[in-house]
Amino acid sequence: MTAGRHVLWLKVLWVCTLLAALYMPIVSVLLASLANSRYMRFPHKVWTLDAYRAAAADYTTVSLHLISLQIAVFVVLISVVLGTLGAMAYARYDWRGRSLFQKLLVLPIFFPQPVLGLALLLSMSAIGIVPSWKTTVVAHAVWIVPIVTLVISIRLFGYDVAQEEAASDLGASRWQVIREVTLPALWPGIFSGALFAFLLSWSNLPLSVYTSGADTPLPGWLFSRTATNYSPLVPAIAVIGTFVSGFIVLALVILQRVVASVSRQRTG
Amino acid sequence: MRRNPGLWYAVPLTLFMLAFFMAPMVVVGWYSLMPARSFDLTTEFSLHNYRAAFAEGYDRPLMWSLIGAALTTVIAGLLAWPTAKILHRHAGRWASLVTALIALPVFISESVRLFGLSVFLMPGGGILAGTMNALFDVQIGTFLNTRFAALVGMVYIHFPFMLFPLLLGVAMIPTDRVEAARDLGAGRWAVLREVELPLAAPGLLIGGLLTFVLCLGANAEAAILGGRAVTVITAAIEQRFNYAQDWPMGAALTVLVIAVTALLVFPVLRRIDLNRIIRR
Amino acid sequence: MTTSPPALSLTGLTKRFGTLSAVDGVSIDIAEGEFFTIVGPSGSGKSTLVRLLAGLDTPSAGTLHLRGRDITNTPANQRPTAMVFQSLALFDHRSVGQNIEFAMKMKGVAPDARRSRAMELLRLVRLPEDFYARPVTQCSGGERQRVALARALGSDPEILFFDEPLSAIDYRLRKTLEVELKELHQRTGKTFIYITHSLEEAMVMSDRIAIMRMGKFVQVGTPDEIYRRPANRFVAGFMGEVNILAVSQSSGAPVFADLDLPAADAGGAYAVLRPESLVPGDGKALAFDALVTQKLMLGSRTQYHLRAGDAALIAEVGAATAADLSIGQSARFGFSPADIAWVND
Repeated sequence: MTAGRHVLWLKVLWVCTLLAALYMPIVSVLLASLANSRYMRFPHKVWTLDAYRAAAADYTTVSLHLISLQIAVFVVLISVVLGTLGAMAYARYDWRGRSLFQKLLVLPIFFPQPVLGLALLLSMSAIGIVPSWKTTVVAHAVWIVPIVTLVISIRLFGYDVAQEEAASDLGASRWQVIREVTLPALWPGIFSGALFAFLLSWSNLPLSVYTSGADTPLPGWLFSRTATNYSPLVPAIAVIGTFVSGFIVLALVILQRVVASVSRQRTG
Repeated sequence: MRRNPGLWYAVPLTLFMLAFFMAPMVVVGWYSLMPARSFDLTTEFSLHNYRAAFAEGYDRPLMWSLIGAALTTVIAGLLAWPTAKILHRHAGRWASLVTALIALPVFISESVRLFGLSVFLMPGGGILAGTMNALFDVQIGTFLNTRFAALVGMVYIHFPFMLFPLLLGVAMIPTDRVEAARDLGAGRWAVLREVELPLAAPGLLIGGLLTFVLCLGANAEAAILGGRAVTVITAAIEQRFNYAQDWPMGAALTVLVIAVTALLVFPVLRRIDLNRIIRR
Repeated sequence: MTTSPPALSLTGLTKRFGTLSAVDGVSIDIAEGEFFTIVGPSGSGKSTLVRLLAGLDTPSAGTLHLRGRDITNTPANQRPTAMVFQSLALFDHRSVGQNIEFAMKMKGVAPDARRSRAMELLRLVRLPEDFYARPVTQCSGGERQRVALARALGSDPEILFFDEPLSAIDYRLRKTLEVELKELHQRTGKTFIYITHSLEEAMVMSDRIAIMRMGKFVQVGTPDEIYRRPANRFVAGFMGEVNILAVSQSSGAPVFADLDLPAADAGGAYAVLRPESLVPGDGKALAFDALVTQKLMLGSRTQYHLRAGDAALIAEVGAATAADLSIGQSARFGFSPADIAWVND
């Protein structure tokens, strides 16, 4: 009995150590942002939000966020459309060539991302396209569309196709079946797919670094700045960027809840 | 019912992937066969770049990337296995919370997290060293800017990619099989070797493959934490592309990485039924 | 004769989950070579009990001795016992042969010896030898049962436990396997401890049966004793459909209150009467008028649902008997006091 107790404590200790290790670097960024000195000297002599004030006043902060947002919005749109259609082919219908399609689709996930970025950079350059935020959208989408397709497919695997047959048996047209039955059933999958797409695009470094050209998004800027010189502005912008993405996701979740409950009341 | 619409649904995605995934691979492959420093695609193929890659010592960065990926996969696996077992065994509210907490950092950019790790490990005024100095008056050194630091960063970034497939794998071990093995005289190691690992193999393989492949291309860890201690293959390719303006050589190195990836990914994907894992 | 210790001896064995006692102070001696069956409804604690016996759980209190040796805290992998699981728990990633050899491999038996023993076991459970290399996933339900049995026997256990292995099998195959299991018990001479929710199944195979309810043994006895002298209404009811008549003493002489019949020599508060003991006609000592409310053909027998006074009764009549009643018809039915089993609670 006491042996079992010891084992339980060991497990708790293991998990806590793990979480501490995972979050220590993130906490470190937060701590580093609260200084005003040119060089990192922890513990800070002065704890201050100066770096945040400086970041807020600096137009770089705004433009970095706008670029990241622009990229993420387009990635979400592309991956939701392609992912929903793709999921129908992946999980809903059984057709000749499906298993090949399924296997080929996951290849971009099992692929070294920076190498994918470099390959895209080379191909784009070869046909004379100058890297910009648009090429980054494409690079992100190559990796994120398969992930969103899988997320929506999970929803589709648990979906009873007989519902559609029941609907058309009750007189629904082809389009009505899709609008009234299929899409509402898939919506939770599509919505979480969209959130995934947003977060993955916002935080992606390896694909952006080689494909964005002059339009550097947040992670790329942070990467280049950490490699060159240090100032509390860097961790401050890192913290702001992370919170902005969290805030956007939270807002989307709340918006989706509100819309869902309003539409329920209207029909109910 | 008309003709099966599955194929039509697959068309947009397939075209997109052909244009932006397959075509770039072809272009890279083509460039790798062009004369050195050429910017045009012609039909004068040669294997010159591949020979030159080895002659000019680019096998070293490739080697470092392979070693780093292998070590990271093994270490992440050793850390993830007990974690997955614990989370599965004590499934419930706490385990779900812990799982969510482990997943959350994945959505924070790796440049932010690696930056945090470097600030934490920084000598003198870093978070760890500064705290030790202030609280205990102890001066500690650092392993920042070493190959080891790059490895720590790789394990740190890729741990979730090992853990989550492994969680699915561990969930494929029915409790009664473990009990049956124990009942038939199997000790802890025999249960692990004979029952748990084979039954969790799909998750273990997927997690291992994902970790290895992602690490193979990883360069941010080496850049932010490794200092100049190690040059990984991605850094070498970038150097050929951007600074040396030698596209064909960069392309040849890229093809080598793609070849290693394909060699690992295709056999595993053929063996594993992804649908079965996703359906769960 | 020597007084050898019992194969398995339970003393006050208890398993508590929070405040609930799933197994509540069970004590029993099980003899060497006995086929001992524990019967109970779901939630009676029988599965928890067998897990304690196999060492898959540790008891909260009490002791367990195997041939006189204390094994209360011995883990499952060090006990000379083997279990056939309800789910069978076959290793689907291994072949039939590898499943059967598992315990021998754990003990470090050489591959050649393992193989020849596995072949013997395949013969013993009546599977063809070419099953050796077959994946277990390609076996039918009955074949899987036999593989599970051979795997348990492969550890050469002193005691074999069975946790409802036949519960998910169709009727005909179950009947076949029950007979095979009984024969296997006779041939191997090993101690079998069998868990089931079916008293019918227990009757066919067992030397002794324990009826379990809410963590306790309600009655332990031979199949004949359980059948003829159930300890209470619960045990009597477990056998299948029975008629239970309350005896009233309120008017002085005991009577079957619902039927308004005298209950002379009442041996308890309730009379248990099997459906086949109720026969049509006036031929029995105690007879009454009844209304047929339902008629069910059971093949060799016909079952009548009767209403008599305030009582709802069930009678079963052999198909050969001439009486053929229809629903809504009134008829005389009777029974003999000798067929009554008396219980007090």
